[in-house]
Amino acid sequence: MKKIFLTLSCSAVVLLAQEFNAPMQAYMNELAKEAKTQNASFERFDAKRGERIFTSKHVGKKGQEMACTSCHTVNLKQSGSNLNTNKTIAPLAPSANKARLTDVAEVQKWLRRNFNDVYHREGSALEKGDVLTYLINQ
Amino acid sequence: MRRIILGCVILVSMTWAKSVPVANDALYQKECASCHFGYQPALLNASGWQKVMGNLQDHFGTDASLSQKEHDAILTYVTQNAGNSKLTQGNTTMRISQSPYFIKEHRRIPERLIDQPEVKSLSQCAACHTKAEQGDYSERNIVIPNYGRWE
Ligand code: HEC
Ligand code: HEC
Ligand code: HEC
Repeated sequence: MKKIFLTLSCSAVVLLAQEFNAPMQAYMNELAKEAKTQNASFERFDAKRGERIFTSKHVGKKGQEMACTSCHTVNLKQSGSNLNTNKTIAPLAPSANKARLTDVAEVQKWLRRNFNDVYHREGSALEKGDVLTYLINQ
Repeated sequence: MRRIILGCVILVSMTWAKSVPVANDALYQKECASCHFGYQPALLNASGWQKVMGNLQDHFGTDASLSQKEHDAILTYVTQNAGNSKLTQGNTTMRISQSPYFIKEHRRIPERLIDQPEVKSLSQCAACHTKAEQGDYSERNIVIPNYGRWE
């Protein structure tokens, strides 16, 4: 009985805590270091803050109100649609799309572009770390 | 004799066969077909491509910026394969959909068939040209959503 419990709880942990691969973890560590330099009271990235970054509306590059969810939707396990072109976007959740958040260059490129589109500026180290922490758990 | 050959060469390069070579460059497909259909280089002239590639940070209202290395490789690919046909002639813009021949060919399509969500804008070639991916823009392969065959 004990053994069953143990295996059950282990698999639960595996299911909940999705992990970054080594290069992505190195990138997260870099972001953490930068966040700490910018604000000495920084402790760790936070998925809740990341969720707010992802779902809140802002006046974007085009002068219109929009959010990350305008293209990726609120259900990250499902496909989204590019609001500028209506092209389908594969799910952003790593649990639904294994290729997500595995390639540092790809992640950096899209965060740069997408923050510019939605926030009309680049994201800070804190914002990028928070939003990636939110996304990796989806 | 020389002149005849020259004349033929010009004739061939200016012919418009309603089709263009496919965009078979892997980097181009990865970087330039992520937000929309991957426009074949022959759909735009070289100066148009230079304008497009010169301002990817503000690309039709969105940020499509690339690292220098990718930018340079793609610029070379699109300009080397740029178009020189009826479709690209007289186009001084950075839109394929603003070329005089393009405007003339598409002017009879009712606005409501373009505005609809399944199409969105005339920039979404593949929404109507079912073989756009293969570079085929002939009438027989046009199907407009909620309308049907155009022929
Ligand atoms: C205008 C539409 C749009 C908006 C708004 C948008 N994205 Fe994206 N995003 C995309 C597209 C398109 C891709 C790449 C397409 C693909 O890989 O399927 C992408 C890719 C990404 C990726 C890369 C994931 C990977 O590893 O492949 C991340 C991370 C991301 N977006 C986060 C965000 C965040 C955070 C915001 C808000 C600041 C945001 N997006 C807003 C369209 C958008
Ligand atoms: C981040 C998203 C995004 C990326 C990446 C992107 N584009 Fe675009 N592109 C757009 C949008 C949005 C439009 C405008 C569509 C409209 O008006 O309906 C557009 C339009 C165009 C047009 C004009 C289409 C017309 O109407 O004739 C060309 C040409 C073009 N893009 C080329 C490129 C090339 C080349 C690349 C790669 C270097 C690229 N795009 C990458 C979003 C993107
Ligand atoms: C709303 C649907 C629609 C969209 C979107 C669309 N087209 Fe067309 N296109 C048509 C129709 C219909 C015709 C035929 C017009 C006619 O013959 O009356 C046509 C004709 C053409 C022709 C002329 C072929 C010939 O006979 O010489 C070309 C080239 C072409 N389209 C290219 C494009 C490209 C490139 C795009 C994207 C930038 C595009 N089209 C977007 C519907 C569309």
